[in-house]
Amino acid sequence: MRRSVILAVGLLWALPMTAWAQTQAPALDSTAVDAAAAEIASELRCPVCRNQSVLESSADVARDMHRLIQEKLAAGESPEAVKEYFVGKYGEWVLLKPEARGINLLVYLLPLTLIVVALLVLQGRIRSWVAAGTASRAGTFPLAAEVPGAADSTSGPESEPSGTSADVSARISGENERWLEEALRE
Amino acid sequence: MRRHLGWLLPLLALPVLGLLLFGLTRDTFVLPSPLVGNEAPQFTLEKWEGDTLSLADLRGRVVVVNFWASWCGPCRVEHPALLNIERNYDPAEVVLVGIPNRDRRSDSERFLAALGGDWTQLIEAEYTALDYGVYGLPETFFIDQQGVVVRKRVGAVAWNTARATIDSLLASSSEDQATAPPESADNGDGS
Repeated sequence: MRRSVILAVGLLWALPMTAWAQTQAPALDSTAVDAAAAEIASELRCPVCRNQSVLESSADVARDMHRLIQEKLAAGESPEAVKEYFVGKYGEWVLLKPEARGINLLVYLLPLTLIVVALLVLQGRIRSWVAAGTASRAGTFPLAAEVPGAADSTSGPESEPSGTSADVSARISGENERWLEEALRE
Repeated sequence: MRRHLGWLLPLLALPVLGLLLFGLTRDTFVLPSPLVGNEAPQFTLEKWEGDTLSLADLRGRVVVVNFWASWCGPCRVEHPALLNIERNYDPAEVVLVGIPNRDRRSDSERFLAALGGDWTQLIEAEYTALDYGVYGLPETFFIDQQGVVVRKRVGAVAWNTARATIDSLLASSSEDQATAPPESADNGDGS
């Protein structure tokens, strides 16, 4: 019983400690701080520039921001906390890549939605083109429709031509010969 | 598919039109500020005279914090409005505080000597302007009696805008209301 009480009290004390630990980023050496600061600076907009990151800009305010990022990281603040600080001062506008939440979701979802809809429209169009093409082929080849069993002639290159398809061929060659004779006479 | 287009196209077009309409109703000079509606960033800064001033000490009074510089053209334009604030309000009710930003002290002093103005000037700390999310100069923050930023003006502040904001804060205070007037950050010379 006593052991259980001690364990329970210990666990209770551990809870706030873990919460505190989560807010503290591991200490970084100066090289790691510079690298992390450069990464954050590349994600933040220089407030007085046109589409330039804090990292790219040589404006005074951008240099101040970069220095403050380094100081905050060196003091043990997490990159998220540092970015949150600037968002708290300048708004989400300061983030070059807006967070995917709220109205910002439109930025991410709208192009995807448009692509899906475009693909659906394209699919519908292709289907209607294929259907129209099939109907058109059927319309320009009346012999196939007129002659029963003509469809059998397409059963494969290995198959022997059936009697009916031989008739069709004879008709076609007969017509061709007649057309050729008329052309020569003219 | 064709029959779906009847409702699919308007469904897609409506949000885009909505966004465009939303954009048309916005003032392109207005810059949103997360500070508006929230407690003003605290500072304790050295005055030109030597002792320090803490924002917390001004609780209960309307505070107008003006970031400016002698080299900034619009600061010269807005100066008469600041002089009017100084002349027209009781310092026990309204405190005007100047914070020269990226300026040489001698230049700031020369500017004030030429144009007048006797309100408190503070020496900025390294990141005071960043704490206030300052974009460019001048920028003016109207802070209510509870220490909440109720308005941020980017660019030269106009006297009528300043007066309207301050009067509304004083009126709301006298009516014992905690609510603040227009909560927006704006830009330009205003009306």
